[in-house]
Amino acid sequence: MSRKGLLRWGGRLTTALTVAGLGLVLLPYFWMLSSSVKTGSEVFDLPIKWLPEAAQWGNYPDALSRGKFPTYFFNSAVVAFAVMAGNLVFCSMAGYGLSKFRFPWREACFRLILSTMMLPIEIILVPTFLVAREFGLVNNYGGLIVPLAVDAFGIFLMRQYIKDLPDSLIEAARLDGCGEFGIFWRIILPNCKPALGALALLTFRDNWDQFLWPLIVASKDTLKTFPLGLAQMEGIDSAAYHEIMAAAVVGMIPTALVFLLFQRAFVRGIALSGLKE
Amino acid sequence: MAESYAPAAKVRPKAGFDDRLPLGAAWGGRLSLRARLRWAGFLFVLPALLHLLIFKFYPMLEAARLSFFRYDLLTPPVFNGLLNYKAIWENPLFHQSFWVSAKYMFGVSLPEWFLALGLALLLNRRMPGQPLIRLAYFLPIAMSQIVVAMVWKFMYNPLGLVNTLLGFVGIGRTNWLSTEETALPALIAIGVWRGIPLFGVIYLAGLQSIPKEYYEAATIDGAGPWQRFVHVTLPLLMPTILFVMVMSLLSAVKVFLNPLVMTEGGPNGTTRVLPYFIYETGFAYYRMGEAAAASMVLFAFVFGLTLIQLRLLRRGGVE
Repeated sequence: MSRKGLLRWGGRLTTALTVAGLGLVLLPYFWMLSSSVKTGSEVFDLPIKWLPEAAQWGNYPDALSRGKFPTYFFNSAVVAFAVMAGNLVFCSMAGYGLSKFRFPWREACFRLILSTMMLPIEIILVPTFLVAREFGLVNNYGGLIVPLAVDAFGIFLMRQYIKDLPDSLIEAARLDGCGEFGIFWRIILPNCKPALGALALLTFRDNWDQFLWPLIVASKDTLKTFPLGLAQMEGIDSAAYHEIMAAAVVGMIPTALVFLLFQRAFVRGIALSGLKE
Repeated sequence: MAESYAPAAKVRPKAGFDDRLPLGAAWGGRLSLRARLRWAGFLFVLPALLHLLIFKFYPMLEAARLSFFRYDLLTPPVFNGLLNYKAIWENPLFHQSFWVSAKYMFGVSLPEWFLALGLALLLNRRMPGQPLIRLAYFLPIAMSQIVVAMVWKFMYNPLGLVNTLLGFVGIGRTNWLSTEETALPALIAIGVWRGIPLFGVIYLAGLQSIPKEYYEAATIDGAGPWQRFVHVTLPLLMPTILFVMVMSLLSAVKVFLNPLVMTEGGPNGTTRVLPYFIYETGFAYYRMGEAAAASMVLFAFVFGLTLIQLRLLRRGGVE
């Protein structure tokens, strides 16, 4: 075959591969959506039914009336937004302090902070619970939120981004008599929107999703987050897959929405945060 | 806000600006600009630092201490030396968990390294509808873990979609999550499926930061697509590749939710990863000391891994 023909076939092959891969990535989501509007018996019908005979929208209210789903959603929203706010404020402050100021032990502080990335909650589960108990952070919102309010990855991300902002911006504001916090608030923050966007998306997604920590620290049903509620629903009635899928679809909407709103900032933020230290 | 002391900051624009000029009235009017900035920088870092000290470092030290005590949450801890370590060392379930975790980690990470790079290379090409295709590929990044777990549990059902699709190519039905040989691979498949888009984004960002001129120069020198990949893309992408390697391993080692809600660590412990072992020992059997000892082992594992990765990063000429 000629070189040109070979290239053309190569091009077609990669396009086909792209589309096939897309199918694999999206298939579970399609299946979830389609199953969420099937009847309970249609879900496992053979031969396979890709779409239901008639959409059963009633599955949604039925699913959400099981357990305390409105409460679970509310709790997840509270946790997600509060933890996101905490991370946006504290991580950007720390990132600014670590990149644009000189003080003794600065590098040591940075290394200390980075090293906590090796300490995910899964490893220090028992003692973190004990600390939370000491602070009275068991079975209340504070317990769901406070221990997660700062994450080293966020500090790393913000530091990398702020480091590349020109010093002249800060010096000009300082000469104009702007206070240090004012500089941070009115000069630094507006100039790192992409990184803040990325951080917002990542923390929102991770914390809407909190499972292990709420499982440990909140045993009251009224404090359960959406993931716990969904797992519990499945544990109680694992045959009701049409309703489980309906609840899952509803639980997916916030993160999907946040992603769509922030996706540009997210992809750009990762690109700009400078993966190389 | 800090405007209150702004009027004090009257700067005379003279040659050789002296930064020791006492500017900050609100800081007692005594600190030089340099000292003031030192304090300001430190104060910016302080809240985050305190938080991490309380909720990360102190618990870590506490885990180390607790691993030498017998503790059931109800009665006060009792020192018992190395008995916890001895107990987990002699516990066959711990050994099993260790190997399950190792298998899961590498089972998920190795395919991710290559497939995510493949995805990024595909998405880096020009093609019709590219922004939409990228968006669709990246959408799963936003999906919550529990939703993923539920959908896949549904699909792995003996009557579910996976078996139906495999039936089309003549493969018989399997109860994926309840068969010892298939449960862990089934969870690994989910991990890979979920990780590829995320690491794909990171690779894609890395690919796009490679200046186009390098490719043009290589093409002028007569390099084909494969040579361009090996001699331009790979070396320049090396920092990203190493970053992805670290991140994928570290995120795989802490998997917990899927084994809990999909298999409950079973069948026969074949999916009981180390975090699950720790959770079970601590919060189901209330043996906090043993759980802490197992945590220390897991930490040593993660720590060793991070050191190796840092060494690699340095050799890769990143620092």
